Amino acid sequence: MPGCSNDSTMSSATSTDPGLRPWQLFLLAGMLSATAVVLVSNGRSTSSIVVLSITVVAASLVATAAFRSLSPLVSPEDLVPDAPFGSRTRAALEREKALVLRSIKELEFDHAMGKTATADFEEMRDRLKARAVGLLRQLDAAGFRASVERDLAARAPTAPLVDSASSSRASAVAAAEPGSSRACPACHKANAGDARFCTGCGAAFGAVCARCATPNDPDARFCKSCGATVAGPA
Amino acid sequence: MASLGAFLLLLAFVISAYAAAASVAGARRRNGRLIESGIGALYLVAAVMTVASGIIVHAFVVGDFSIRYVQRYSESAQPLGYKLASYWGGLDGSIMFWVFLLSLFGATAVRVNRERHRELIPYVVATLSVVQMFFLFLMVAHNNPFSTYLTQAPTTGQGLNPLLQNFYMAIHPPTMYLGFVGMTIPFAFCIAALITGHLDDSWLRAVRRWTMISWFCLSLGLTLGMIWAYEELGWGGFWGWDPVENAGLLPWFTATAFLHSVMVQERRGMLRVWNVTLVITTFFLTLFGTFMTRSGVVQSVHAFGEDRQLAMMFTAFMSAVLIFSFGWVIYRLPLLKSRNEFDSWASKEAAFLANNWVLLFSALFVLFATMFPTLSEALWGERLTVGPPFFNQWMTPVGLILLLLTGVGPLLAWRSSTLGNMRQQFLWPVVSGVAAGALTIGLGIRVWSSGLCFAFSGFVIGTIVQEFVRGAGVRKQSTGTDLFTAMVGLVSRNKRRYGGYIVHVGIVLMFMGFAGEGFGRDEQALLKPGQQVQVDRYLLRLDSIRATEDSQKQMVTGQISVTDTAGKDLGKLFPAKWFYKSRPDQPTTEVAIRRSLGEDLYIVLAGFELGEQSASVEVHVNELVNWIWIGFGLMALGTGIALLPERVLALAGAPVGAEATVVLLLVSLLLVPATAGAQTASDGHGATAAGQGTLVFRSAEERELANEIMCTCGCRLPAGTCGMMNCEGKAAQLGKIKTMVAAGQTREQVIASFVQEFGGEHILARPIDRGYHRLLWILPYTLAGLTAAGLAVIARKWAAGRSAPPALTTAAAGDAGLQQRLDDELRDLD
Repeated sequence: MPGCSNDSTMSSATSTDPGLRPWQLFLLAGMLSATAVVLVSNGRSTSSIVVLSITVVAASLVATAAFRSLSPLVSPEDLVPDAPFGSRTRAALEREKALVLRSIKELEFDHAMGKTATADFEEMRDRLKARAVGLLRQLDAAGFRASVERDLAARAPTAPLVDSASSSRASAVAAAEPGSSRACPACHKANAGDARFCTGCGAAFGAVCARCATPNDPDARFCKSCGATVAGPA
Repeated sequence: MASLGAFLLLLAFVISAYAAAASVAGARRRNGRLIESGIGALYLVAAVMTVASGIIVHAFVVGDFSIRYVQRYSESAQPLGYKLASYWGGLDGSIMFWVFLLSLFGATAVRVNRERHRELIPYVVATLSVVQMFFLFLMVAHNNPFSTYLTQAPTTGQGLNPLLQNFYMAIHPPTMYLGFVGMTIPFAFCIAALITGHLDDSWLRAVRRWTMISWFCLSLGLTLGMIWAYEELGWGGFWGWDPVENAGLLPWFTATAFLHSVMVQERRGMLRVWNVTLVITTFFLTLFGTFMTRSGVVQSVHAFGEDRQLAMMFTAFMSAVLIFSFGWVIYRLPLLKSRNEFDSWASKEAAFLANNWVLLFSALFVLFATMFPTLSEALWGERLTVGPPFFNQWMTPVGLILLLLTGVGPLLAWRSSTLGNMRQQFLWPVVSGVAAGALTIGLGIRVWSSGLCFAFSGFVIGTIVQEFVRGAGVRKQSTGTDLFTAMVGLVSRNKRRYGGYIVHVGIVLMFMGFAGEGFGRDEQALLKPGQQVQVDRYLLRLDSIRATEDSQKQMVTGQISVTDTAGKDLGKLFPAKWFYKSRPDQPTTEVAIRRSLGEDLYIVLAGFELGEQSASVEVHVNELVNWIWIGFGLMALGTGIALLPERVLALAGAPVGAEATVVLLLVSLLLVPATAGAQTASDGHGATAAGQGTLVFRSAEERELANEIMCTCGCRLPAGTCGMMNCEGKAAQLGKIKTMVAAGQTREQVIASFVQEFGGEHILARPIDRGYHRLLWILPYTLAGLTAAGLAVIARKWAAGRSAPPALTTAAAGDAGLQQRLDDELRDLD
């Protein structure tokens, strides 16, 4: 049976040398079995041999997927990377910005085509631009946090095993600590920890999530990424 | 092998259950290991289903007739292609194929979105797994395709239904299933978003492509079905409003509505509840369609037969889906509040709203009319038939409104358009619409629906051309290139919009094809070799009629030479009937079609006497039919453009290139046999006329009645369109109609005597419009009126509640540096 032939290879797979990725091993085994099938089923019609070989290779996929499904359970630590949340949020912000910029462009385009009245057009454009500026600011804030991380890493060389995720958490907690002072992401002026707007440039402080370091809207009560209560300036 | 297959199905069920449980537990306990393991289990189901599919396909290929399913749907002489197609040719296999496709789709969707939508994925996996579990349960408990004959396995198979042995029919179900199954992905993401509460627009972004692909597959499936009906059933039409056809159409309506309303949410943050509802409804309708086809709730030619148990299981699952989904929607209502308000009726939002309303109404109407016979039998104990005449009568205006909206929407701006804007925008499209209407009248087409359809088509085409030309003009000005470069830049810059416009052009062409049906002609003729008849501008002469044979079937083929009235030779046509040895009682009609852009000459061999060498043929002249297929080609092109990756200009970019390839591949699949599959006229030389055949004279009243009275042979079509061979039911019905009309009876009298003779109105293609039968159209139309009024009230409320826009925050306005940067970025943006 082609389905069973791979089960034996599966158990051996966990102990393979690290040079060979498990799926490569399984695929190899599948191909070998398929070759064996072709050799054994001599004299049958071509189409049936083709279907059989495909089935056997699919059986190796079963083994791969079974491995893929079981290995996380027995892995020693939480294999799942706690997500590079910072970079993901950044990507989300970038996407949002691209969307808003696109919208502005399209609005201008529609206006040029004579679809919108000038007054409406100006009002909508200004709103969109305001939103884009807000996003730019948030993106800057995210960049600022990354630089803080670098600083932290530079200052604490004695803790080599701090991975980037936990350090970003630490920095986020530091940034959002109530009572302490915080720097404005836009103009770098120091402000009170509970300030909602920068005293220097008037920029709104986003509430940075203490758990996952996602910047949120200033009036957010819960983090939009992980759902934690935002201990921000609100 | 069979027992291994059955075991694999069982295994897939268990793994699905594990995937669902692990994912939910992992998500609740924030345990990454469980979540990852759940994802792996989902892949595992796909792999297991692939192996199981391999096993059953292998059984078909080698002809393992100990498996019941293989024995019923295959035989040794069947060509390899149809052996493969037999996999989904019957009930059990089609469910298995369904699960197979779902597992592949699901695994791909999860794989693609695993990183980007990490928070949603566990619940997506769980939802997909539960749906898979349901179908796997059906197989394990009720319709196991691997069940075997316990004793004495037969040595020969019964063979696939000959009607299904047609190229288009072999690929029609898989594309249809792809469309149906694909709709599960948006549903899974929607449920995940509802459960997690991440109801911003990110889940929409994840499902947009999937919805588009599934929508395209659904359209492709429907079109293939139409081609099949046109070429194989031999009644000259392509859409019979059969319950199963309708089942495919219902989710198409809601998916189309979703594809439009999703834009409103993306752009304006409105209609959030509505979009969620549409996704759930679409998924529900795919289930409902499957349920209708497979449980025998409605009577149809291609239903799989009655099965009460299956019906109960489906009902239970569908109720559970509805309660669960809408329960979550209600729970999450506060999060689904609209961010923006409705500003004006003369806006794109309003046009989209109207479009959605019409599409939903179409779905509702078709659903209600399809279910009406079942309802009337349950409630009033009266058997009825709701057939093509009814749908054609009531759906035509709806279709026309939809077509009109296709032209209006693009001309309006978001939020509001002023009168001046509208005048400037509507001038040329209206002119082109009026011109098209005038041309139609000038050509002497006097069918109101077709005329209006052409006028609206002109309007829509005017709109789209104007959009392209003005857009290119604006772009030319801003970039300083020539018009062509500007046009290409325009399309590549906003692929979704302009791809969508191209889809609209395709839709217009299809509508023109539908409109052509309004003024086609058909005749019946009796011919002996050498005799000829004239139909429209064609002279048809029967050369010979002969019988041939191959290993699978006997074929009776007529050879007909076609010339036009001026004597120019137009080639030969070979209409035929094929009698499969395995099912001699079900001969198939092999229609001969002479295609041209303007019209098709469509000849069916309706009956023959080999001894006397006489043939009775039905000749249809079908106007504009080919534009439907051409329109679909454009639709595919537009969808392909819209699916191209957002930011990449290069065609061969990124993984989404694969989607475009799939689309192209499917289209080429569709188009290749368009030349090879259908019989085309071959060249031959003209000969002198030897005698006249007989055209069967039918009065206008007779023709009309032929479409009102049902055939009795079980084809579930009106007598006039039954395509069965030497059909006695048809002959009897038409004969009766002829005598009655000849005796001077009025339409009402004829109908009344038929009702009396058959003891009920089920013999009529549509119920007589009286008593509670009126509910059939009053109810949906009233509901539509009420919802329209409701929409108006809600919109007014929105508009009234709209406060002056809050002043821009000083922070945003005051930051000159950021403003400067923004302007720079905008300038750089193409």
